[in-house]
Amino acid sequence: MSLQGLISGSECALPANPLSQVLKHAEGDRSLQQDRIAGPSSSRLHHLPGTTAHTANDRDLALAQQFFERGGHNPAGASLSLPPHLPPVEMGRLMEMSRVQSGGLNHAWPEARASEVNPFHGVEEIKTPGAWAAEFSTPSHPIMTGSSQQSMVGAAFQQQTPYGASGMYSPPMMNMYGMNPVGIQSAYAGLDPRYNASLEQTQNKGKGKEVDFDTAFAQAAASLNVVQAGETQSAAPQEDLTSLEARLKDVRLEESTVRDADDGVLASDFKHYWDQLQSSDIPPPVEDLAKWEAEFNQLMTAQREDTDFYNYGDAMQSAWDNGLGDYGDATPVDALKFDEEGLPIFSDYAFEPNNKYLGASTSTRSLLGDAKELLERNGSLSEVALLLEAAIQKGELGEGGYETWILLGETRNMDEREEMGMRALAEGVKRATESGAAPAGMLSLAISYTNENYDRAAHTMLLRWLQARFPSLPIAEETLESVKHSSWDSHNRITDIFLQVARSQHSQGTVDPDVQIGLGVMFYTQGDFDRAKDCFESALALRPKDYLLWNRLGSCLSNGNKPEEALGIYREALALRPTYTRAIYNVGVACLNIGAHKEAAEHFLSALALQDSTGGEKSEQLWFTLRRTFFAMDRTDLAEKTKTRPAVETFRSEGFDF
Amino acid sequence: MSDIKVDGWKSSEVLATLSQVFESFSDEEKKAQIQKTKGIFELRIKNAEGKEGVWTIDLKKTGTVYKGEAKPKPDVALILSDETFTSLAEGKLDGQKAFMTGKLKTKGNMMMATKLDGVLKTAKTKAKL
Repeated sequence: MSLQGLISGSECALPANPLSQVLKHAEGDRSLQQDRIAGPSSSRLHHLPGTTAHTANDRDLALAQQFFERGGHNPAGASLSLPPHLPPVEMGRLMEMSRVQSGGLNHAWPEARASEVNPFHGVEEIKTPGAWAAEFSTPSHPIMTGSSQQSMVGAAFQQQTPYGASGMYSPPMMNMYGMNPVGIQSAYAGLDPRYNASLEQTQNKGKGKEVDFDTAFAQAAASLNVVQAGETQSAAPQEDLTSLEARLKDVRLEESTVRDADDGVLASDFKHYWDQLQSSDIPPPVEDLAKWEAEFNQLMTAQREDTDFYNYGDAMQSAWDNGLGDYGDATPVDALKFDEEGLPIFSDYAFEPNNKYLGASTSTRSLLGDAKELLERNGSLSEVALLLEAAIQKGELGEGGYETWILLGETRNMDEREEMGMRALAEGVKRATESGAAPAGMLSLAISYTNENYDRAAHTMLLRWLQARFPSLPIAEETLESVKHSSWDSHNRITDIFLQVARSQHSQGTVDPDVQIGLGVMFYTQGDFDRAKDCFESALALRPKDYLLWNRLGSCLSNGNKPEEALGIYREALALRPTYTRAIYNVGVACLNIGAHKEAAEHFLSALALQDSTGGEKSEQLWFTLRRTFFAMDRTDLAEKTKTRPAVETFRSEGFDF
Repeated sequence: MSDIKVDGWKSSEVLATLSQVFESFSDEEKKAQIQKTKGIFELRIKNAEGKEGVWTIDLKKTGTVYKGEAKPKPDVALILSDETFTSLAEGKLDGQKAFMTGKLKTKGNMMMATKLDGVLKTAKTKAKL
């Protein structure tokens, strides 16, 4: 448990929490003091306890009590017996310290004096009483326990109150810490935690009045004597300690004067800090702490309510109860209905009226055959679509009763007639599934859904494709369920399955272009265009003549903010299939995004002209995008004109060359 | 339309563009878009100075974007920062990630929030697969 955890609940909530500022101070400053008091903080980090703060609290109290009791009448024993839970590192240090004590002390004293340069570093920075409390409880805590095991600020926070209430110490006098002769304390830090413990005890007993302070120091001196007695057994240095003791005794604080201790610098510093503290507006009193705690709790709960903003389960439930896509209110437009797995429910495919191929056929060959041939010959896609529609209306459904439907759908999509293509494909896929030829058309349909932002439908379709294509592939129940929830849920799950399949194929040395396409579409729906691009590239490596793939690769680049690169890729697709309306449209989109509006308009117009050749209806999408282009060119007159769907040729007079 | 743009909110530019797109819709296109989305989004966008601005995308009745709280009541309110919104609009961030990382909070019909990505995509002409 860390202080961050305590305050913010979770790491991600941190930026929103004003208290996090407090943390920065508390943590930053703590390290400085800990380094001096209990060794480098990095080594302390290695033995952060796993126990909860509460148990630590009890144990600490017990240990402290034990120590003080024993320290009273059996100092020697106290100094020899080590706390059982002392971590090895500390233990080793302790042992060593007792051996080299004389050297250590001489050493530590000047060092400490040097280090008192900035003893207020932490205090001055901190504004909040709470942070202040944290600041001071932290160093005192490890010292109390006689080990550095409890270094968590969080624990220290909680222990604040028990310490005060236990009766062992008077209410913690936080500001005493600052007055404490830092030099002395740090000098002892290197020796033995017990020194610190006794020192700290005196500090805590102090009340901020010189009377108490005097007592405190007298006590400190006394306990020093006591421990010293223990130290002598191991041939401890007498002289240094005694002189130190003398100094300690000398460092007495009067109301306004500092007695002239043998160390002048120390004394004046002392006075300086004391005055500073007196005049400082940092309010340390305990009652404030309680107030702060209440405030803190209030903030915490407020924060929590904020993040628990809505109940996911309930939201889901109500969404289901209401039926997806139906949110009450009577509205002028009927919402598009979706089935349970997010597939849009369309009305039946609307055939083009006045289809010239519907009349008495003069051809001896089948309409489906004609359509295939025309497609092969690079003929007009609208023409092919009309042939296919006629074939369906005349009952020529091709292989398995679905072939013509799927072909019609794919042709419509290539011709930038997404809405119609999607319906035809949905029909074809339905028929294919019924006749047991499941995977057919599913990928095309999934891509069609993706283009229309029906992400959940695309996911469902890709999942069905996987099931049909790899019947032995284990798919978790949760994944099958996920498409019923939201595309956010299903996306990662289905992507994982695709990755799993792709990897196992890779390990067998094969690459399945269809799997790559599926994976590419998954990345594409999530806007991960770079990875989608990689997938389509690897599929292209195996099917270099597939103009559909070239176009898809181009669209990944185009939507991934690389329209310039996309243009080159679209050119490949158009070289393979000059009448590929969608690729022409995409070139227009890329031009539009680059800012070449006139060129974009020309591309859209030429795509419309291609569709015009059959006299049938033209793509809504093309008209719409053309209008947007005119808006971008500040030609609102032309934009208005598009609403009436004029003959494409009329735009030539406006200077568009297509 | 012009009042959609507010200094200090980059998102307002995106929304102004979106509004322009909606205005360029023909009735049929608008109908199609409304049919697809069927929701009112209220956007509570906090800018860099910590001020909150409120915009509404109505794709349920009118097919418009306007400044201010949703009238009638929104299907979903989205609470997010200016930066988050612009990244969402640019496609640098998707709604799911934003939601999972706490950058996007919702109030109301959460299913509706998943449609915001699609709505924002219409602001930018998208190439097709």
